[in-house]
Amino acid sequence: MIRPVQTAHNTQNSAFPRMTTQTSDAPAIALRGVSKSFRTPDGQQVGVQPTHLDVAPGEIHGIIGFSGAGKSTLLRIANLLERPDAGQVIVHGQDLMTLSPAALRTARQRIGMIFQHFNLLHNRTVADNVAFPLRIAGADEARIAERVKTCLEFVGLSEKAGVYPAQLSGGQKQRVAIARALAPEPHVLLADEPTSALDPRTTQSLLEVLADVNRRLGVTILLVSHEMGVIRRLCHRVSVMEAGQIVERLTIANGRIPPDSQLAQWLRDFGDAEGDEAGTDDTEAAPQHLLSEAAHG
Amino acid sequence: MADEIAVAEPTILDTFIELLPEIGKAAGETGLMMVICLTAAIIVGGALGILVFLTSQGQVLGRYRRFNLVANGFINVFRSFPFIILLVAVSPFTRHIVGTSIGPLAASVPLSLAAIFYFARLIEQTLRDVPRGVIEAAEAMGASPLQVVSQVLLVEARSGLILAVTITAVSFLSYSAVAGVVGGGGIGDLAIRYGYYRFQTDVMLITIVLLVILVQSIQFFGQWLARRVDKR
Repeated sequence: MIRPVQTAHNTQNSAFPRMTTQTSDAPAIALRGVSKSFRTPDGQQVGVQPTHLDVAPGEIHGIIGFSGAGKSTLLRIANLLERPDAGQVIVHGQDLMTLSPAALRTARQRIGMIFQHFNLLHNRTVADNVAFPLRIAGADEARIAERVKTCLEFVGLSEKAGVYPAQLSGGQKQRVAIARALAPEPHVLLADEPTSALDPRTTQSLLEVLADVNRRLGVTILLVSHEMGVIRRLCHRVSVMEAGQIVERLTIANGRIPPDSQLAQWLRDFGDAEGDEAGTDDTEAAPQHLLSEAAHG
Repeated sequence: MADEIAVAEPTILDTFIELLPEIGKAAGETGLMMVICLTAAIIVGGALGILVFLTSQGQVLGRYRRFNLVANGFINVFRSFPFIILLVAVSPFTRHIVGTSIGPLAASVPLSLAAIFYFARLIEQTLRDVPRGVIEAAEAMGASPLQVVSQVLLVEARSGLILAVTITAVSFLSYSAVAGVVGGGGIGDLAIRYGYYRFQTDVMLITIVLLVILVQSIQFFGQWLARRVDKR
């Protein structure tokens, strides 16, 4: 018998109290000197240089950079989908690198993840998709039913419980993916280009869901995006990556990028990759509104 | 007029009725061989195919590269044998486990062997259709390799898996005719013995029509089921 999730939850909680119950300066995610190198078929060296990254409990931390900068690799290191060549990966005080495969699986149950292409199970209903991480953890059916209901309500898709993902729009699929990630009550949520496959309007409403996840549930979010708009509307802090390194770390106050930063310079030089916000000093109403909702503290 | 009809050559229907007990026996033998070789293929070949898939590069158990190489080579070697040679080559082994090297039960041994490796390769390729991202999502949620197989791969690829069983069933229905050379019997063997060797064209026709109906039914049912379970 596999331990039910509730038990795993409790044991983890006693060892690593959630930031809501105890204010602590310990980061929710700490990547210490992690590096990962790949060799592309044409012999080019890519990946992540030895890098440090601290994500404070309760914050939404963005990673931005051009394609191939290593931002997705860095994100995937945070739950060891990508095992770094060196360094420490500490999530809620636990160094994932030192865990046995079984212990790593238990730890991963508390680290939610969403993807650019949603990665839902197509032959399972929405409800079964949300139930999936709980079933894997051996939770009992009563708890599964309760969590599925709660999480689908949270993302506003209760009425879609019985349909298959093929019948949903892209935005709805990503909401299901968020509900699935939330089902085991994770401490942190890793988001890999969560809006890059969505249109701007769907992106907007999805960012509101993510802001809600952070604000109402206190979940720390580490998010990778190449869309400046997403970073500005959602993130409290941002790390800028280039050639496998974090070249700049910025705090985003009221959706503003500090004008003397390298990132601001890039935006002036290249504009936004998506072209929706070319400048750094505009004051759009919608993002401001969203950000004030999302602001923590 | 009536007299002429009475002394006429027996019609194909008469031949069919006359041959009915023989056909019944042959159908039973075919059924036995198919059940044995498909069961072996699904259980052993399925497991082998899944393992080869899991240990291929970039997959969940990709670190077991050596196993992958050996298993792949094994599958290729067995798939290289012309079936009739395999049939003869494994006859000492057959005698060892069945006690005899003739009859439908004996023929089931080489049939099963061939089906296992045939099915393993089919399964391995079918599983490649499951997007890597979906497997990765399950891993990120803490799924063990066994859970990845039972909860993700077999569920997401289920319509392809049903089609793989369908193709294997049709192929080995045909292979089972070759098993006649070791007295395996079966419908295909009936076609060869009566129809081909004895120049009884009507018998050959009957058996071939039976085989066509059988293949059509398997194919139709397989495709119907595959479509039904596919929600993608």
